Amino acid sequence: MNEIAAELKDVSFQYGNSNEGALHRIDLQIRKGECVLLCGASGCGKTTITRLLNGLIPHYYEGELQGTVSVFGRSICDTPIEDFAGIVGSVFQNPRSQFFCVDTIAEIAFGCENMGLSETEIQKRIDKTVADMCIEKLQNRSIFNLSGGEKQKIACAGVAAMLPELIVLDEPTSNLDHDAINELRDIIRGWKAQGKTIVIAEHRLGWLSRSCDRVVYMENGSISAEFTGEAFFSLPAEKLSSMGLRAVLTANNYLESKIGLTQIKPFEGIEKITLNGFTYSYGKQYAIHISELAIPKGAVIAVVGHNGAGKTTFTKCLCGLQKHFKGTVNIDGKPYRSKDMVRLSYMVMQDVNHQLFAETVLEEVMLGTDDTGEQTALDILQKLHISEYKERHPMSLSGGQKQRAAIASALLAGKKLLVFDEPTSGLDYRSMECTAELLRSLHKDITVLIVTHDMELIDRCCTHILHIENGGIESECSGKGAI
Amino acid sequence: MAGLFTADIENRGLVLDPRTKLIVMITLVVFALGGTGSDIEAVRYGTTAVSILPLILLMTAKQYKKAAVFGILYAIMKSAEIFLVPHITGVALSIIGLCCLIFVRLMPGLIMGAYMLSSTTVSEFIAAMHRMHIPQQFTIPLSVMFRFFPTVLEEFAAINTAMKMRDIRIGGKNAGKFIEYRLVPLMVCSVNIGSELSAAALTRGLGTKVKRTNICKIGSHAQDIAVLLLTAPLYMLWILGMIGVIT
Repeated sequence: MNEIAAELKDVSFQYGNSNEGALHRIDLQIRKGECVLLCGASGCGKTTITRLLNGLIPHYYEGELQGTVSVFGRSICDTPIEDFAGIVGSVFQNPRSQFFCVDTIAEIAFGCENMGLSETEIQKRIDKTVADMCIEKLQNRSIFNLSGGEKQKIACAGVAAMLPELIVLDEPTSNLDHDAINELRDIIRGWKAQGKTIVIAEHRLGWLSRSCDRVVYMENGSISAEFTGEAFFSLPAEKLSSMGLRAVLTANNYLESKIGLTQIKPFEGIEKITLNGFTYSYGKQYAIHISELAIPKGAVIAVVGHNGAGKTTFTKCLCGLQKHFKGTVNIDGKPYRSKDMVRLSYMVMQDVNHQLFAETVLEEVMLGTDDTGEQTALDILQKLHISEYKERHPMSLSGGQKQRAAIASALLAGKKLLVFDEPTSGLDYRSMECTAELLRSLHKDITVLIVTHDMELIDRCCTHILHIENGGIESECSGKGAI
Repeated sequence: MAGLFTADIENRGLVLDPRTKLIVMITLVVFALGGTGSDIEAVRYGTTAVSILPLILLMTAKQYKKAAVFGILYAIMKSAEIFLVPHITGVALSIIGLCCLIFVRLMPGLIMGAYMLSSTTVSEFIAAMHRMHIPQQFTIPLSVMFRFFPTVLEEFAAINTAMKMRDIRIGGKNAGKFIEYRLVPLMVCSVNIGSELSAAALTRGLGTKVKRTNICKIGSHAQDIAVLLLTAPLYMLWILGMIGVIT
């Protein structure tokens, strides 16, 4: 148990394209068989440590490295990264960008094929991995038809099949929902039982509460505290938030709230927006089936539900993005059909990079508006605290600022309904708090719908919960079914 | 997802070895496009018969819609060549005749190409290249590239949706910048994904000096032999024609 798996000795690192150091004089020992959680606010250096362990630094991300890093006694600088393939396995944050094959079995085999193992050996390993992780159902599927959680499982399987001793996970849950996280937790426990060393850099903490042996808390590129797993997970919530960390446990799990619309905070508005005939089907199954729903105008509504419940289809219909959708939205006494809803509502996507087009923030906000003056645009930027960046290229902003630029453009275009798709995925406590603050402060004319799994965010800013299950909002008949 | 090397493995119908597909492709290029042996009558008929093969292959891969569209197009061009071209003269002849000539010769190869790309997976492609002793330095970049296309398409779709919500379209106020608005986010997203993809590839040992293995089972089955038997007579007719046995 006391053998060393990986060791960082007096390590400092500065990325080649940055003026500030990412790590300052880090000393860290990871013992064999240990499960270590690296946590801290965004930019604290936890991802950098994972990259040192799997060799991406210095072999892929360039910069200035001081000190020594060794993994299983081999210096990371002197060993080519490919040689660590069967020793260190890595699971990344974004399921979209860690796949090479289009089918699941080929994907699991990919790493083993690179190692030059024999066909029979690879087949044996695949069978064992599939059985260990209970993913028989995912065999021979097309990667493009998998959900985010299923993709992440295949990524884990691909790593596990290479039989690494050390497994490094960099924010593996930021695109996952509650159920998928629980399944990932089981996978990690399985690895632990096999005696593998595990290092996880994470914002979300709750799911690791019983799996972690040690928690390393980082601030500005240094390790500022270390806890045993037990001590860390009994810290009070206030302590965690003062450290800039997300809560371990949220008081409310809104996924257990009753199906349909529920008010959770005092709300004064009396005007309603009514949605009629929100019915849509892919083939023979209803994806959503809501005949009538009145939502309070000006409210901040969390849209919750399990994966595949129809949340995405619902919001797409609401934004007028679903073709052949026949429902209507009544707002301010005027009915809008699917075609007109595009002008009424706006979706802030999970990857906000998709919706920033112009050369400067100001131009971005003014884009698509016909006769609004520059002054109005500046006022809105001021209100969202991004007016100082008005001459910057939107792509050069930070994630939170990009989100604000997208919101500003929607406000200026006179949108009445704002839909957010997982606005806080992968955000630390402070950024989440900022987003919540921003959502609360939007003008009362704007109705906000947030598709999210983030209970903390809901606690902070939502006035209502809209719980969708099986495409419907009625608990008695489970909406979905054959037409 | 029907695009480059993104065969839907959950519903793909009959599977051919990539090398069989390549042989059919070469046959079509030599005879249909290159017009080899077109002075021999039997070879001409044979070429027409083999030209229909890609359509049948598309259907075996359950891509009925694509097969129907290509089939109708090809039928129109071929019948124009047979029935219309002999009866027209002058400028019309040079325009229509040229169109028919190009399309009738080009289409079988095009359809075969569409079939090849949409019915082969990346792993099959790598396995086939490996068996043909093409060096890794060539196949690995290619395979990563093919993996990259569908992702770029997904990104492109998301950007399109975003533009729709902002009411940016052709003919709008910002028509002149339409392309720029589309390309900037696409490049940013593609570069991000590309660099993450390469990082993930490195951690999984792509590029080791060890010789890569492949579990993808490719090899000649009954269907491959059947397809090859269908193309073989064409070569035989040609050879017979060349040595003067038939005309």
